[in-house]
Amino acid sequence: MANMLNKPELLRGDGKRLDGRDLDELRPLSIKANVLKNAAGSAYAEWGNNKVLAAVYGPKEVVPRHLLNPERAVIKCRYAMAPFSSLSDHGRSGPNRRAIEISKVTKEVFDNVVLLDEFPETAIELSIEILQSDGGTRAAGITTAAVALANAGIPMKDLVYSVSAGKIKDKIILDLNMIEDNYSDADMPVAVSPRTGNMLLLQMDGELTRQEFNLGLETILEAGKQISKIQRQALIDVYE
Amino acid sequence: MNTINLAKADYIKEMLNRNMREDSRALMDFRDISIDTGILKNAEGSAQVDLGNTRVLCGVKLQPEETMKDTPDQGNLVVSAELLPLASKDYESGPPSPDAIELARVVDRGIRAGQCVDLKDLFIEDGKAWTIFVDIYILNFDGNLFDASYMAAMAALSSAWVPKYENDAAVMEERIRKLKVNNIVTPTTFAKIGQKIVLDPDANEEAAMAARLTIAVDKDFIRAMQKGLSGGFTQKEIQDMIDMAFEKHAMLKDYISAAPKE
Amino acid sequence: MNTILIPGDSIETEAARNRNHYFVEDNKPYCTSMCVSSNSKIVPLEGLWYPNEGEPVVGVVKEVKNSIVEVDLSHFLRAIIIKSPRDRISFRIGDIIEASVKQVEDKKTIILIFPRLLKYGMLLQVKAVKIPRIIGKNNTMVGQISSFTKSNIIIGYNGLIYIKGGDMALAVSAILKVAAEAHRPGLTESVKKLLERELEVTEK
Repeated sequence: MANMLNKPELLRGDGKRLDGRDLDELRPLSIKANVLKNAAGSAYAEWGNNKVLAAVYGPKEVVPRHLLNPERAVIKCRYAMAPFSSLSDHGRSGPNRRAIEISKVTKEVFDNVVLLDEFPETAIELSIEILQSDGGTRAAGITTAAVALANAGIPMKDLVYSVSAGKIKDKIILDLNMIEDNYSDADMPVAVSPRTGNMLLLQMDGELTRQEFNLGLETILEAGKQISKIQRQALIDVYE
Repeated sequence: MNTINLAKADYIKEMLNRNMREDSRALMDFRDISIDTGILKNAEGSAQVDLGNTRVLCGVKLQPEETMKDTPDQGNLVVSAELLPLASKDYESGPPSPDAIELARVVDRGIRAGQCVDLKDLFIEDGKAWTIFVDIYILNFDGNLFDASYMAAMAALSSAWVPKYENDAAVMEERIRKLKVNNIVTPTTFAKIGQKIVLDPDANEEAAMAARLTIAVDKDFIRAMQKGLSGGFTQKEIQDMIDMAFEKHAMLKDYISAAPKE
Repeated sequence: MNTILIPGDSIETEAARNRNHYFVEDNKPYCTSMCVSSNSKIVPLEGLWYPNEGEPVVGVVKEVKNSIVEVDLSHFLRAIIIKSPRDRISFRIGDIIEASVKQVEDKKTIILIFPRLLKYGMLLQVKAVKIPRIIGKNNTMVGQISSFTKSNIIIGYNGLIYIKGGDMALAVSAILKVAAEAHRPGLTESVKKLLERELEVTEK
């Protein structure tokens, strides 16, 4: 939400967005499961210009030991942007403060759906590597990670998805890309457990009225049906 | 070390005594090699190498930086490697391990010694030159990271572009010319297991090896070598491996230069 | 009709035999892992092995202490053999063994009995969820692979398989085929064809 003086116009004359999408239109999303040999489960997604790889190991021994929980498994989550993932800068390798926060909220999403008490004293390791970024990478990471976890056979109560909604002037938009993320008037990534309708991730910054929030959420839930379908197909395709 | 891999060591030695390998390769064969370049559009250069089940992704980024005092007329090259936790159950998240640092330094040495990238060609204007960041990402580990990483770095550099620079700033959206790559260095890594030497060891063979040697060559010269682990090689063994490194050069160079663009 | 189910899909109560692959909420059962539902039976496609008494395992000795031997079963539970003075086996780290599950203590440790050393064969690892199919009804699948390849095949429910002698490469590819196509019908027949075809080629 950079309040730049030379803020670009994000909507075209015909009411569509700069990349030609309608306000409530997802970017093209494709997911492939079971892409890495060593991992217990894995998935790769291309979502617009985002390229995301997620993999799961475990349940396994907990390192470091102080994380160990005698009653349940702990999820260790790593979200990281590759140093070559963005056009503008060469990033420093390894997680920074932003990545550590995203890792934490992502872990909390999966703490909700994974049957952790089946595996006391173990760790489930989840890695999300952003290989190419164009806005909405945390949502893409969660959506891809859910597929990787199911592919790994980690028992879960639901297959979570995530996507963001935002605002340009008085219009609610779905699935913000990088430039929209930078200059829009609000950004709200949400992760949903589709079976229960529970919101497992909710972050927002910018400005939204109550009505706009409701509309944003409705737009997300509607798009979620498509995302869930693509996740399901990716998992089924492993056996075709 | 993974105990399951370790348990295979006896079996691997026993097979090698009959000159056989688990995947029925000859002792001096590489596994299947496949290389794709230009797969990441935000990186100025990129390549993915599959060497058997070892998978390495390499991204190249260029950034304008201040020139160094002692080399005011040239740019810089920085090679890093990450053994990502998703590549193996034995890799942990955290600062680069000694293995990752060795890997990056050995690749860096070969690229420099082979003068693969003309650092003077990176000069922009007084006080400014491009720094090339080569980041090696290990995505799946099944042995011989050295050769896979070398090939990924060489292929990514060969596919890289130089962005436009105007009004004291890089215009990353506009790529105006290919990066000049003057030489291709190709790697060969050998493992000594018992009394036998094999080329391109996989993870099980690496668990059984006593010594490792990487030799990077171009058409005429040895450009970099790195021996690893506590075992030793005889002079004759090393001479034979050097011969093999030169013998494999043309084939590997073809793989790197002919890498299909996605 | 075979339908593939994903975590969160609702299922019929009667169909859900395998406790480890469903959970119940508001009296309704749901899948927790990838499963295939066929003829009102639910068969898991992914998932972890939960040990039961008497099941055979294959593992690697990880640590030898005074009173116990720790075994790597490539599993989230720790596995140990309690040493007794009457033991005739001396264990070394890296030894491959087969053993039998005696019990699971405290949901955390698998106690193994009847260990036996396995030497000079190879280890193959597959997902544990595929093991029942690799064994087959009344050992038909593994029996078939073993009799064609003349290999001695010892299967651990934990997913590790020990193969020694005979045409080991063919045994491996047959086992990997079963693991990859475990959800397909008519597998015994298609594996038989693979074995026959490959053996014909070698004999020529």
